[in-house]
Amino acid sequence: MKKVKAQLWIKNLKNFWSLYKTTKKGVIGLIIASIFVIIALLSPWIVPYDPYEWNVVQPFAPPSSTNILGGDDVGRDIFSQLIYGARTSLFVGFVAAVSTTLLGVFIGTVAGYFKSLDSILMTFTDIVLVLPSIPIMLVLAIYLGPSIWNIIMVITITNWTGVARIVRSQILSLKERAYVDSARAIGAGNVHIITKHILPNTIPIILASTILRIVNAILAEAGLSFLGLGDPTAISWGMVLHYAQSCGGFSRGAWWWIIPPGLLIGLVAVSFTLIGYSLEAVFSPQLRRS
Amino acid sequence: MGMKDYIIKRSVFALIAIIAVFIFNFILPRLMPGNPIMFVMGGTKLMPETREMLIKRFGLDKSVWEQFVAYTWRALHGDLGISFSKYPRPVTELISKRMPWTIALLLPAVVIASGLGIFVGVLAAWKRGGKFDLTVTNVGLFIWSLPFFWLALVMLLVFAYYYPIFPLRGAVTRGIEYANVFDFFKDWLWHSTLPILSLTIWNYAGYTLMMRNTMVDVLHEEYIVTATAKGLSDRTIMFKHAARNAMLPVVTQITLSLGFTLSGSIFTETVFSYPGVGLLTYDAVIMRDYPLAQGLFLITAIAVIIANLLADVIYARLDPRVRY
Repeated sequence: MKKVKAQLWIKNLKNFWSLYKTTKKGVIGLIIASIFVIIALLSPWIVPYDPYEWNVVQPFAPPSSTNILGGDDVGRDIFSQLIYGARTSLFVGFVAAVSTTLLGVFIGTVAGYFKSLDSILMTFTDIVLVLPSIPIMLVLAIYLGPSIWNIIMVITITNWTGVARIVRSQILSLKERAYVDSARAIGAGNVHIITKHILPNTIPIILASTILRIVNAILAEAGLSFLGLGDPTAISWGMVLHYAQSCGGFSRGAWWWIIPPGLLIGLVAVSFTLIGYSLEAVFSPQLRRS
Repeated sequence: MGMKDYIIKRSVFALIAIIAVFIFNFILPRLMPGNPIMFVMGGTKLMPETREMLIKRFGLDKSVWEQFVAYTWRALHGDLGISFSKYPRPVTELISKRMPWTIALLLPAVVIASGLGIFVGVLAAWKRGGKFDLTVTNVGLFIWSLPFFWLALVMLLVFAYYYPIFPLRGAVTRGIEYANVFDFFKDWLWHSTLPILSLTIWNYAGYTLMMRNTMVDVLHEEYIVTATAKGLSDRTIMFKHAARNAMLPVVTQITLSLGFTLSGSIFTETVFSYPGVGLLTYDAVIMRDYPLAQGLFLITAIAVIIANLLADVIYARLDPRVRY
């Protein structure tokens, strides 16, 4: 039985990959994203200088052969900061995307499956959806104080609504299927039905949306950090931009301090967006045809 | 369900949402560890008598329910508390003074961006899959993926530092006497061109992608086939038949995205040191000015909720296909 299952998994994965690799954008996105993930994982070992150390280069030094992106106001090496920043930005992106998805799946499942809770949960979802997310994040963040985990929490609190709505609508249709009725007829409980028979069917759509959440989370972290709510002990791309703006990057015209971090954020965001869209296309036959 | 019921239903939802915002704003400082007075009034070192007085004044010795009613009552009467980074000025006064500056940025940006975005979106959808479409969607996607404030930072760096065509900061030149209104307007426009431009570019990217996708859907409709079969010109079909129908949901979407636009203004005004509501928000965040930040959130949230209500109702009125 186990062997059959494993074979089925491999067959499905192969199937999936043969479809995915036909999407040119998806492959490009995957390559770029993988490069960033590898850099993030290896960053402590591949940085040329300690990104926290002062005076490794002249303050505001322009790019040179030893420091390819120059130095900041206290002489830290900007190139090393950016390599190290990939770690923080991607970490926040992944963790916040996963926690957002978990919260959204939980609320969406409960709303979709239990009719009595549906309207109250969906009204709540709609309220959170209607409220402007950046202002809520700001208000929450100033109370919680600056730390990586608080940023992740704030992003989770404001971003779960989309997932909840998708999951709810999926579950509303899935729970009416005949196989769910048969499971119930032989005495399966709600938790068993939800976890074994309903949720597995929603995994593809949830996966695609999680990838797109990563983009949201990375941009949100950058925005919060830029506005001075980032973790002062961690280096992220948003923090680099925050220091560039508040510590005289402009009065020195330090383009090497301002341009690269934004380009990196944009590149990562585009690559994950491409992956997300391609996954959606692969998983939904209607999109595939067009 | 008829139109009237629909409007009532949406209004009730808006009301619930506004009440939820009040509750959120009320509970937040009281959920935090430590003394609520610290968050509500911000006094770091208070004399015991002052403390007592403040507790009485803000009713912190009363029950939570009474406090909530009092808080809501004061807020509804325009009393959002006292800012403590700009003590003792009331939050409401600070916000209302800054509001016109922000509207002056957002209005032109949204109008230009939606006009341009809709036009380009129509053309892209018409030749979907073609070179123009690919360029428009890819560029739009890239701009949309950039951190918004970065676009503003780069524009500031290029057009105010390297090529100093525009000023580095502010909305008007400091300490200048204007001969007439026209001079004032000219000075403001000189300062506001970059902020408006960066807001426009960012909003344009979102609007044009929206318009393109809606338009592609509309072009699959049967009435477009009919129009083509009737031998109408491309121009007529494109603008009179397709774009008109695609525009309604897009214009609704634009109204619904007021929250994003306002968020955009926080970043733009911060980058350009433009003294609007957005910069006030940044100051509140940096100074940890809790009453001011909460007041700003309350007003922003209510504005967005009301914009949503209006968009819903107007959309339902204009589009007979909407089923409630």
